[in-house]
Amino acid sequence: MQESKWIPTVCYQCKAECAILARVEDGVVKEVKGNPRARGKMCVKGMAGITTLYSQERLKYPMKRVGERGEGKFERIGWDEALDIMEKKLTELRARGEAHKFTYSMFPHSTTDPKWRFVNAVGGFISTGLPHCDSAKIMAHLHTFGCFPNHHIAPMYFTVPRGGVMILAGRHPFGCLDDACVPSDILNAKERGAKLVVIDPIYRSEAAKADWWIPIKPGGDAALFLGVCNHLLTYGLHDKAFCEKWVREGDMDKLMAYIADKTPEAMSKICDVPAKDIVKLAEMCAAAPSVSVDAFKSIMYGNGMDWGHAWSIFLVITGNLDNPGGQPLPEIAPMAPVTPVPPAPSLKELGYHRTGPNRAKFDHYNFILEPTWYAAQAVKEGNLKVFFASECNPALSEMGSGEWRKAMTMKDAHGDYLLELFVVTEILPSETMKWADLVLPDQTNFERWELLYMPWWYNFGQTAALCQPVVAPIGESRHANRVMIELGKRMFPEYFAFKDDVAYYDIELSGVGMSVEKLRENGAVWSPGTVGFRKYEDTGKFNTPSGKIELEWQMYKDIGQEWPSPELPLEYRRGEDEFPFILVNFRTIFLNNTGAWSQNNAQLRDPVSGLDENPLLLNPIDAARLGLTEGEVVTVASGTGKVRIPLRLTEKIKPGCAGIIHGFGQTMGKVASRGNWAGDNELIADAGSHLDEQDLRGGEAHVSTRVKIYK
Amino acid sequence: MKQLSIMVDLDRCIGCKTCIVACRNHNGLLDHETSMPGEMSHYLRVESELEGTYPNLKEDFWVVMCQHCKKPPCIKACESGAISKDPRNGIVMIDKNKCTGSGKCIEKCPYNVIQFDRIGNFAHKCTMCQDRVVHGLEPVCVETCLADALSFGEREILAMHADAAGKEIVKKMSTQSILYARTPH
Repeated sequence: MQESKWIPTVCYQCKAECAILARVEDGVVKEVKGNPRARGKMCVKGMAGITTLYSQERLKYPMKRVGERGEGKFERIGWDEALDIMEKKLTELRARGEAHKFTYSMFPHSTTDPKWRFVNAVGGFISTGLPHCDSAKIMAHLHTFGCFPNHHIAPMYFTVPRGGVMILAGRHPFGCLDDACVPSDILNAKERGAKLVVIDPIYRSEAAKADWWIPIKPGGDAALFLGVCNHLLTYGLHDKAFCEKWVREGDMDKLMAYIADKTPEAMSKICDVPAKDIVKLAEMCAAAPSVSVDAFKSIMYGNGMDWGHAWSIFLVITGNLDNPGGQPLPEIAPMAPVTPVPPAPSLKELGYHRTGPNRAKFDHYNFILEPTWYAAQAVKEGNLKVFFASECNPALSEMGSGEWRKAMTMKDAHGDYLLELFVVTEILPSETMKWADLVLPDQTNFERWELLYMPWWYNFGQTAALCQPVVAPIGESRHANRVMIELGKRMFPEYFAFKDDVAYYDIELSGVGMSVEKLRENGAVWSPGTVGFRKYEDTGKFNTPSGKIELEWQMYKDIGQEWPSPELPLEYRRGEDEFPFILVNFRTIFLNNTGAWSQNNAQLRDPVSGLDENPLLLNPIDAARLGLTEGEVVTVASGTGKVRIPLRLTEKIKPGCAGIIHGFGQTMGKVASRGNWAGDNELIADAGSHLDEQDLRGGEAHVSTRVKIYK
Repeated sequence: MKQLSIMVDLDRCIGCKTCIVACRNHNGLLDHETSMPGEMSHYLRVESELEGTYPNLKEDFWVVMCQHCKKPPCIKACESGAISKDPRNGIVMIDKNKCTGSGKCIEKCPYNVIQFDRIGNFAHKCTMCQDRVVHGLEPVCVETCLADALSFGEREILAMHADAAGKEIVKKMSTQSILYARTPH
């Protein structure tokens, strides 16, 4: 047990990517733990990463499809043949002027991820789940106070002062898709006298630790916070000095006029939180030295932009921007560009970003990335011809799984697939690879190089972290970054003149006076050492067109969305007779959602150390009304799909809601395919063909679904 | 009395199971290549208790590991003398070389924490990381606890720390050497 054997690197069991140490003995990873230079925590998923690394089911060599898509039949090929297939198809696509019909679905590990560089060089786009998870929050904060907020990362709980209020609205940070230090930071803040308020239709471990659990009707968060803002403004409890100094002239008067009728009583009728509790929450926040708000599932509903807007207004009028315990305004690390930088194509002009009946109206709204879940519609409409996917599992993660499967297998009059080439890089068998033409064996975080920097690391005292290989790769696996760099060298030598991924990261790190070697020698993390507060005081402005905080969204005036509507998502306001329950799908600490590398991890699917079941959760009151009993298998049906799963009765869910965990339903892999569990996205409507009003109100988020339940 | 202990803070345990996997990795309790869910040994497990009806609920989480009993029933049950309580620190250990694999200790353990290695034909369990603590390190579960809910030390000192933090020892859970503490409510 010598300390010298602990090697600093980065976890990749989920997208939080915590800095860790790995203990290597005779070339084998034996143990892992959090890196004490970076807050020192690692969650159960990360701990189980060794099982992913050494699973006998690892994909070990490139494979080519031999049957039809969906059959999952492959034959082994060499890397040269795989690269030839990709180069030939992309070259052909570019020659016909359709480079923009290439999309790569991935999670970028930095704003200059080498895969992203390759996509830009081709002239295609990347798509990620990011728009789904956070676009409404990101766009709301950008529109209102001009910051690129922290994705997947909560406020800086280690900065919350005594008496500060921490609000979690449909957010489960103990589930560690944030940095693994977050649960401990929240509990530490509580110990020094901060208050934890959980607003959620489900009672989970956060609610169990909360000072106050407020069950809410799903989608009611905008109404709740408009009611809170109404009370604050009506009684002059807001931060007047902050608003006077920083809010654009005239916006406060317009806000007062807009919010006059959003009384706690009126908002209570929408969100199902008693008016007296709305008043109590407002007064609690007004009296606190700081308030932070974080939301996740609630920002994915069909009124996500309204909720993001109401949330932004609340932060502003309580003066909780970039203060200890409030909403951080992160900055991106100033890495050096690797020149020449391939220009990105215009998403607005060429992307399939939006489909459906409201596409023209929705052009008002542009997120910075393509969302993944218009892929099915884009294939049907001929706007997506070549699709690559890394570190994602769209066959299960796409809303409307049935439509996605259909699109993957659609053919033209000549019998050719509409989607001409589908490439998947994966570590373990995934549902998605069943439909792939090429399956490329990827590497775990223990086998690869990666430079990580994004605004969210900023919050935790580290701006950049280095993932370095600690053991030799398994089989012929190659990290997708290296594959795309090699393909880039073949197709675009001018943009890929650097030697390899390490050389690329070296150039980038020179921007902060670092190198890969210096990072390796210094714990594999780097930061300026402080996050700072109220940075707008230094610059004298916010990063908005006016330089002030813009409460009114004037860019949406012509679609009547300059102020947030308190109404529930459209799906919750119709169809209640036929589909009486609101589907609440949520995440747990044990699985990285649909990620094949956690779903196929024996420790994470073990009932003692992980989670091995996904029943339908229902309040006993509802079950009694329907004549249903614990354990019986029921049908859960939405307007677009249905599944059959066992029923679990629990007091921990609001009556009228039906709970299911996101991420199950895989049929590939010995571990993941155990049990007759279903994917929640079988129930959620396909975004491309089933949306109307929420195209305008929901940002990119569309999980709002009603269901009925029967024997 | 000499008794090392682990204290579980119910105010902080979130039932995340990180300790279970960290312990498995450290003690090599699984074959990463072939192990399947439901078949792996484990030295800890998470338990929880929910009280009340919607919306007035309260839920506690805690971990259960070998309680390193004051008078261990496993020692009494073992006919081969393979189990002993170390008088220097109170840790209960199974000597796998003396173990005959009768499984009697497993039957008698009131906490259901003793594991059985079918291939090696021996019983095994939590050693409170005896190999680490004698060199000044904490048990792995304590070091890796995500929520900092576990602490390690002499039993009396841990009880003193709980008292200083305004927490009570939950007596009905803490009848042996492992302590369970929480803020009185």
